[in-house]
Amino acid sequence: MCLGIPGRIVEVRRDAGLPMGVVDFGGVRRDACLAYVADEVGVGDYVIVHVGFALSKVDEEEAHRTLEVLRQMGELEEPA
Amino acid sequence: MKYLAEYRDPKLARALVERIRRTATRRWTLMEVCGGQTHTIVKQGINDVLSEQVEMIHGPGCPVCVTPLEQIDRALYLATRSDVMFTSFGDMLRVPGSDCDLLRVKAQGGDVRAVYSPLDALELARTHPDKEVVFFAVGFETTAPANAMAVWRARELGVKNFSVLVSHVTVPPAMVAILEAPDSRVQGFLAAGHVCAVMGWTEYEPLAERYRVPIVITGFEPMDILEGIWMAVRQLEEGRHDVENQYVRAVRREGNQAAQDIMERVFHVVDRGWRGIGVIPSSGLGLRPEFAEYDAEEKFSLGFIRADEPAACRAGDVLRGRIKPFECPAFGTLCTPESPLGAPMVSSEGACAAYYNFARMGRDTQRGA
Repeated sequence: MCLGIPGRIVEVRRDAGLPMGVVDFGGVRRDACLAYVADEVGVGDYVIVHVGFALSKVDEEEAHRTLEVLRQMGELEEPA
Repeated sequence: MKYLAEYRDPKLARALVERIRRTATRRWTLMEVCGGQTHTIVKQGINDVLSEQVEMIHGPGCPVCVTPLEQIDRALYLATRSDVMFTSFGDMLRVPGSDCDLLRVKAQGGDVRAVYSPLDALELARTHPDKEVVFFAVGFETTAPANAMAVWRARELGVKNFSVLVSHVTVPPAMVAILEAPDSRVQGFLAAGHVCAVMGWTEYEPLAERYRVPIVITGFEPMDILEGIWMAVRQLEEGRHDVENQYVRAVRREGNQAAQDIMERVFHVVDRGWRGIGVIPSSGLGLRPEFAEYDAEEKFSLGFIRADEPAACRAGDVLRGRIKPFECPAFGTLCTPESPLGAPMVSSEGACAAYYNFARMGRDTQRGA
């Protein structure tokens, strides 16, 4: 149940005041509560969703930077 | 899927393995806290590939596994009541209680339903006013904000036929219990990335300092785990014991403040029993007294229950990292995912299930025994 999955917000709305949204997980779409990320996300942003709650916005710049570092490491290690 | 596929790249994985092999001058002992990480490690064979550089000890971070037997028995009692609709995350349904499990109760006519989100349980309460809807609120700091919100919303919306059976636990006190154990061999931790997405990592800084252990906040994909191992090994080789964040794309030092706020309003810190381990002081969350009307234990006057684990099950030793699952005499014989003795064989986050389903070494050892 701790397995959080990254997905892309495709819709935002409010249910009786509660920020909610629809999140797309590689084609599968589910409702998610956005109350804990409401200030920082909108349609198109990626969030990590746990048991129907977005707990964290995925920082695209950081994600990109991490992968670049790893890829450079891959190039370096390749001849070894 | 974006943010998943690129962290499963075999070429990058090989590069990281090579980097770890070149960094380690001796074999180090690390613990991954979270059962989700255990599954990645065993399924991908990371522990086999790096067996000369690191021993991975599997931690207690499996919410299904550590929910006390007494609490499972309380859930089973509630589920059999004709006035109750019992709701739970799906992975709790097959956890063995003293006599049976929730799926058995359902098969015998109990109204037991798996829900995806605790808000779904609250919605069931709104649409079934003739039923008392109880939600089994278990888990670590990852599920606590969701479960807290369900209670918060129940009060906000005036839903009276909703309550929660709470068995929340928190990670840092368990890490302390592991480090304080006289036979502890853990030299560094991979901390659970999603717990830290909620809580941040300021709680871990005094632990790293006091126990002189590196703690690396780590994600869940193979690349994340390998990079987390590399960062921990590098610290150990350099004689450092810092808190470092591998999972930068999802975790910030201060965590998620909005989630922490609701948790703080609904829950307070309590002593909590961990299945197979025993009571760890200040290691759990319980409902604050002002939310007592949503506490299933109060609502249904659930008193003391005594429950004893099956003698053959060594889940407690597995959860504390004292033995590997295949070292338990019941593993794969008396205890299988189809007929589990202990919770770690049931859960998708349990170490025993991970070894049963994926580990070559575990099975060979078992067959040879």
